[in-house]
Amino acid sequence: MSRSILLSLFTYALLLVGIVTTQGAYLALALPLVTYLLVGYLYTPEKIQLEATRQLSAERTSPNSDVDVTVTVTNRGSSLEEVLLEDILPAGLTVRSAPSSPLRTSRHLLRLARGESYTFAYTVSGPRGAYVFEALAAQVNSHLAVSRPRVRVEAPGRLFVFPPVRRVRHIAIRPRRTRVYAGMIPARAGGAGTEFFGVREYQPGDSPHSINWRASARYIDALYANEYQQERVADVGILLDGRLRTNEFAGGHSLFEYSVQAAASIADVLLSQGNRVGLLLYASYLGWTLPGYGKIQRERILHALANAKAEDSQVFSDLEYIPTRLFPPKSQIIFVSPLTEDDLKPLIQLRAQGYDVLVVSPNPVKFELSYLSSSNPDVELAGRVVRMERLLLLQRLQRANIHVLDWDVDEPFDLLVKRRLGRAPIWLHTTGR
Amino acid sequence: MTIIALILSILLGTVSLAMGYSQAGATDYPRWFLLLAGFWLIAHFRKWYWFASIGLLAVIIAAAYGVWHGFPTVWMLLGAVGGLLSWDLSDFARRLSYASPMDDTRDMERRHLERVGIVAALGLGLALLSVFVHFQRLAFEVAVVLVLLAALGLTRLVIGLRK
Repeated sequence: MSRSILLSLFTYALLLVGIVTTQGAYLALALPLVTYLLVGYLYTPEKIQLEATRQLSAERTSPNSDVDVTVTVTNRGSSLEEVLLEDILPAGLTVRSAPSSPLRTSRHLLRLARGESYTFAYTVSGPRGAYVFEALAAQVNSHLAVSRPRVRVEAPGRLFVFPPVRRVRHIAIRPRRTRVYAGMIPARAGGAGTEFFGVREYQPGDSPHSINWRASARYIDALYANEYQQERVADVGILLDGRLRTNEFAGGHSLFEYSVQAAASIADVLLSQGNRVGLLLYASYLGWTLPGYGKIQRERILHALANAKAEDSQVFSDLEYIPTRLFPPKSQIIFVSPLTEDDLKPLIQLRAQGYDVLVVSPNPVKFELSYLSSSNPDVELAGRVVRMERLLLLQRLQRANIHVLDWDVDEPFDLLVKRRLGRAPIWLHTTGR
Repeated sequence: MTIIALILSILLGTVSLAMGYSQAGATDYPRWFLLLAGFWLIAHFRKWYWFASIGLLAVIIAAAYGVWHGFPTVWMLLGAVGGLLSWDLSDFARRLSYASPMDDTRDMERRHLERVGIVAALGLGLALLSVFVHFQRLAFEVAVVLVLLAALGLTRLVIGLRK
């Protein structure tokens, strides 16, 4: 109950008793309460007009990194005797008490004279996500806190916590179709390049260095020249599986963060190689980031990944609704998912449509067994069965000419990629590095 | 500073009531007032801030009961003022607990204590004035009309001030 209502009730009750009993002493008892109420209302601030600005030490950061938030509040209205300011934190962010400044908080009680400003700072950190700061909540107490209106002071700000990007040096992919621009992906066509492709008859204009003297010596009618494989950029679609049923396990353990990390690393390396990369989040909705090149596209994808959440949906519970039209024909699709048995058919269909499919699969069996009791024979038996089922699934995919990267999430993703997909460019060999 | 003032005001309220009751011969009650004071303090330190409103209600009822039985009005008034002060300071202490350790609350405490002290003194002064200054006795009907007018005026004044 509001303080003023409570005091008013007591006052009127005493007045009523005074009338009923015709005793003036009750009125005397009510007088201190009346005085309190009147003085309280008399000094209620006429006009509450607060303005606030917000500054973040970084607008994009990595998970659980400290970000300093500095808020300046200026009073443009009448003097405020007692203001309780509280910055409304976006869900997921927590205020950190840094060892250097253990007293910094997002809530402050202060007095603000007309035209006066107050600046406070605190440190936040949080997991991957896109966080929007909107406003501060200000409770303005009058002199005796008889009235305490709450106002919202707009102070917008945005913080993106991107997934950690583990730098991968190279990913060897070979889509059937490439684009016209030079890149690092073998284009299955002869031309200027570094990797040997074949031998053909020497053409005027060919560099004399390209003459294959050994082949030319066998045939006296013509000279033969080495042909190299063209290296171009390609279209790559990263398909991130955000279905809850494939990512989340008992006890709230989730593989989705690992999938996001893998997608970020893959997008980073492919874009740095000059490829055109798009991202499709397949969760309770289809989150499509249009394909593009370069650093701006990297930012777009990281923003999309920062926002990505594993969610369930009846419609997208299996992969049948992958909108293949989004991906150019015969391009490379990289599917990042822990995989379930039901995913086999849609993936084979993708392959049959001419896409080159690479599956990066964080291993759910090892992940789940890592936090289950290994001494329990039932768990061990179940683990063996599930492991065999997964092995069978991966073998079936490989038989369908789908390259599968089975990732034990205890191993750093970059090391796995280097071991399984990292083909060092030939120029590194030729220069002896 | 606020805590000391709070303790003193709780003691002022309950001890005044106890004095008034014991002077009037109601010697069974004072122990209940001391119990109320103790419980109020415990409630405050355990952060049961809602108890302050119950405490104020108890003090007002006790003062009104004392007036009804003709106990010394001055002690009853002091009890009510003490209860009011305690109720205010308990809420103020709660608000202060929201302050960050970096906030300068000492100045705020000093100003609030000054202000609430003045208001309490003014309220008590007016109340005592109304007790000791008597005009010629009015007819009951006239008094009722005057009180109703006062209540109506007070309501209009409060509404006006709130606007």
